[in-house]
Amino acid sequence: MALEDYRGNMQRCTRCSYCKWVLWDHLKSWRFAKGCPSIGYNNFQSYSAGGRLAVALSLLDGTINYTDGVLDIVYQCQMCGACDVACKICRYDMEPLATLHELRARLVEDGQLLPMHMFIIDNLKKEDTMIAGKVKADRGKWAEGLNIKDLTKEKAEVAFHAGCRLSYDEELSKVAKAAVTLFKNAGVDIGIMGKEENCCGGRAYEIGYKGEFSKYATNNVEAWTNAGVKTVVTSCSDGYWAFKRLYPEMGCKIEVLHTVELIERLIKEGKLKFTKTIPKVVTYHDPCHLGRQGEPYIPWKGVEKRIYGQMLVHEPKKPRFNGVNGIYDSPRTILNSVPGLELVEMERIRENAWCCGAGGGVIDTYPELCSWTVTERVEEARATGAEAIVTACPWCERNFIDAIEKSDIKMKVYDIMEVVQQAI
Amino acid sequence: MTLWRLFNRQSKKERYINMTLPREVYQVLEDIVGPRNITEEPATLAAYAFNFGNELYPPYANRFSIRPSAVLLPGSTEEVQAIVKACNRYKIKYKPFTTGWGSIAGVRTENSIQLDLRRMDRILEIDEKNMFAIVEPYAMGGTLQAEAMKVGLNCNMPGAGAAVSPLANGTSQWGHGPPTLYFGHNSEVLLGIEWVMPNGEILKTGSLGSGVGWFCGEGPGPSLRALIRGDIGAQGNLGVFTKAALKLSPWPGPTQLKVDGKPPAYHVSLPENFRMYTLTFPNWRAFADAAHKIYDAEIGYICHRQWHKLGKDLAPAFFLMYSNPTKTLDDLEEMLKDPEIQRFTQEMGMPLPIVLAGQTPNDIEYQEKVLNQILAETGGHKVAKMSEPDIEKFTLLYFIRWGHKNLNFVYAGGYVGSWHQYGTPDFNVKYAQVAEKTLSKYQATGLLVQAGGDAMMGPIARTGGGGTFSLEQFTAYDPANKESVEAVVNYILESAELAKDHGFPSGFDEMAALRFKGTVGSQAYLENLPDNQRFQWQWKIRHMLDPNDAGEVGTYWMVKPKE
Repeated sequence: MALEDYRGNMQRCTRCSYCKWVLWDHLKSWRFAKGCPSIGYNNFQSYSAGGRLAVALSLLDGTINYTDGVLDIVYQCQMCGACDVACKICRYDMEPLATLHELRARLVEDGQLLPMHMFIIDNLKKEDTMIAGKVKADRGKWAEGLNIKDLTKEKAEVAFHAGCRLSYDEELSKVAKAAVTLFKNAGVDIGIMGKEENCCGGRAYEIGYKGEFSKYATNNVEAWTNAGVKTVVTSCSDGYWAFKRLYPEMGCKIEVLHTVELIERLIKEGKLKFTKTIPKVVTYHDPCHLGRQGEPYIPWKGVEKRIYGQMLVHEPKKPRFNGVNGIYDSPRTILNSVPGLELVEMERIRENAWCCGAGGGVIDTYPELCSWTVTERVEEARATGAEAIVTACPWCERNFIDAIEKSDIKMKVYDIMEVVQQAI
Repeated sequence: MTLWRLFNRQSKKERYINMTLPREVYQVLEDIVGPRNITEEPATLAAYAFNFGNELYPPYANRFSIRPSAVLLPGSTEEVQAIVKACNRYKIKYKPFTTGWGSIAGVRTENSIQLDLRRMDRILEIDEKNMFAIVEPYAMGGTLQAEAMKVGLNCNMPGAGAAVSPLANGTSQWGHGPPTLYFGHNSEVLLGIEWVMPNGEILKTGSLGSGVGWFCGEGPGPSLRALIRGDIGAQGNLGVFTKAALKLSPWPGPTQLKVDGKPPAYHVSLPENFRMYTLTFPNWRAFADAAHKIYDAEIGYICHRQWHKLGKDLAPAFFLMYSNPTKTLDDLEEMLKDPEIQRFTQEMGMPLPIVLAGQTPNDIEYQEKVLNQILAETGGHKVAKMSEPDIEKFTLLYFIRWGHKNLNFVYAGGYVGSWHQYGTPDFNVKYAQVAEKTLSKYQATGLLVQAGGDAMMGPIARTGGGGTFSLEQFTAYDPANKESVEAVVNYILESAELAKDHGFPSGFDEMAALRFKGTVGSQAYLENLPDNQRFQWQWKIRHMLDPNDAGEVGTYWMVKPKE
């Protein structure tokens, strides 16, 4: 698809502002009513999805030119998809998030680049990671001493993909260690790519570098295929989204699971039992790329047609991605299975979840927006009375840890894998 | 050559010239709101020029209209006042909006600035005992309702839904909503108001004007509700309303809605003192009789002829589709081939959804009995399909939260309202038949969505909570298809002529037609309307309150009174 393919979306946006809020049916308070961090922080209409569609249409029409302001408008967005879910509550012909992806891709094609993104992409090209300053040689160090199969030399049914954040973030790599150890001990035939593991490419796709994404997707699928891998498991929600939603579009048939799905499966099969009590009250943060964007890819090839004069429909029926089929229940089932643990919910959950602030390249390029967004989420978590925030994405976890360290809030932050590890 | 083509002749390159403010003026405005809250970035100005409905009107005939010279985000009454005074001083026009939904929100003349009030979004107080809330302009209907419910109260949700401002709805734009029958019109629930007048002075109205609190709109103190808004409101063209107290009504439900189900049709279950029905009647006459009787019996919490906004022929199947998460619009055509759904569509020929809410068990039983008696007397009945548990729970939430208003655009992204003259039920059903015939004629061309000629909706209540109402005829079209847009314009113009021929007062058609003609053309048009006296009054009010002509007046229609 190209930006021009979404011209109809731009022309048919009604500026209703639903893209700025949580779904109205689920709204519980004034304090936590906002849905879009970008306009929540910046306030001008152009920082909403509807505003960006107007900007995109103006660019296509040639009625505005590229400016630093346009770059800010396009990139000050976590691509969290809250707008997409809210828009689709009343529309079947709109794809705001897909349009925003194409808008970013167009900016990259036209050489409208942010310096920080260029730096990160250069690092990606050299070192196969989106973490600035990290080198390929250190990628597999997190797994040293774990005695896990090396998929560059051996075959295994399941590949564990640690991802860039867990591979290089020394404070968080314990999550990856715990996951592979648990799965191995549960009898899963699992291996890793070690230092040969590459970035998933998902973040590159999100900031508009589709070419880089394709390169990494192709390489990863080839490596898994060579290793006989049938299933890829990851603890990274960004990676999960890339593997689950983007890779199949390129023909990948390998099963993709987030660790929460595999843990839930092991619990159901009786291969994993929680024996220890954890007397804690926790709240769960739905990562955007595991929740509303974690819906499985459904192939579709068809056309738009008009019926009843001007009504717009699709032939054949077009799959609908409105957040309903994201991964919401698995983490909650796990947490509710832990003896002594009490899960209390925030106001904005599941398809309505507020973003942690890290996505879409914002963590690297707009630290103030990132910080404001995560602080909002931490405040919402604190309002539940929970002692800890549990999540299922290392990007969210890192952002929460950093925000809480800078605040007077005393909450703990856990990846769900850490809770599981404590409970067995 | 049609009117639409005439104003679409400009080439793209001639359009969208940014009118830059003099640097001195920009600096003055920036000093007021701070650099983070003012912009003249062309991309942002373009976003503010974009709105639904602009494609129907001059000068550009697409979703973009005139760009403001700058956009400001004031954060307080003091900042608003300073901006308005600066505009008076420097002869800059200003136009405020809250959520800015619809083409009336944007500026219509060049050299105008836009005030986006979204930073003024607080609910300052909910006075539980005296049953009112003090709000800023950008407090949304949905947020106010959620907070009010926590203390057993509810607000009159604007007809445009949870995503718009009750303050703006009350002070500046229409004012009725689905619960108006019980809650009263939003112009009536306005109590004390803080108003930055067009000359920059602050006036406090009602009891607030006497310094005794927000509790009364009429006084002691100046009671100016009629002057500030007249019938439909000045639509942002008469100063800026920065705070208002809004009367709240009892909410006999839980303090928080417990919502479940899957999108788009979430569910809510409420206690036994709530009932949700879709009634249906054999004809317009029976419908009007039932409306009269519902007023007279003083039953009902929310009552609104909502479903047919999506057209008599398609709406029943649409809402069955919509309430099933596995279905999409792509399924609609196939669903309509089902004989069972065809029978259902027939049954829903004249629907009227109603929510009953009893303050006590006896109250709900009384209301139920009265409703049954009204149905027996008018030949109406409750539609059984709409009372199936999943649909009932969805429709109940739909009517209480009013969070699906953008369904107006679900077919193709374009909607315009027409007709909508106010009057008794007997008067309404008189023009309904003309409206149905006219829309059917244009739908037959295939350039509008063929949803059925009866696409009329509206709450069966207006001023006083009942006794009058209006039927807004919905027209669905594709804004990206120029032929479809042209057909809408021609339909509106014909409807306006027909209304005049029948002696009906001005409705939505006239207002739309005025905007087709632009500011200059509208003068002659207004002078020739049979009810032009009100536009003469608007001229007097405007010239008295805004001597420097600082307010942007793109949609404030007025005619200079004849000597």
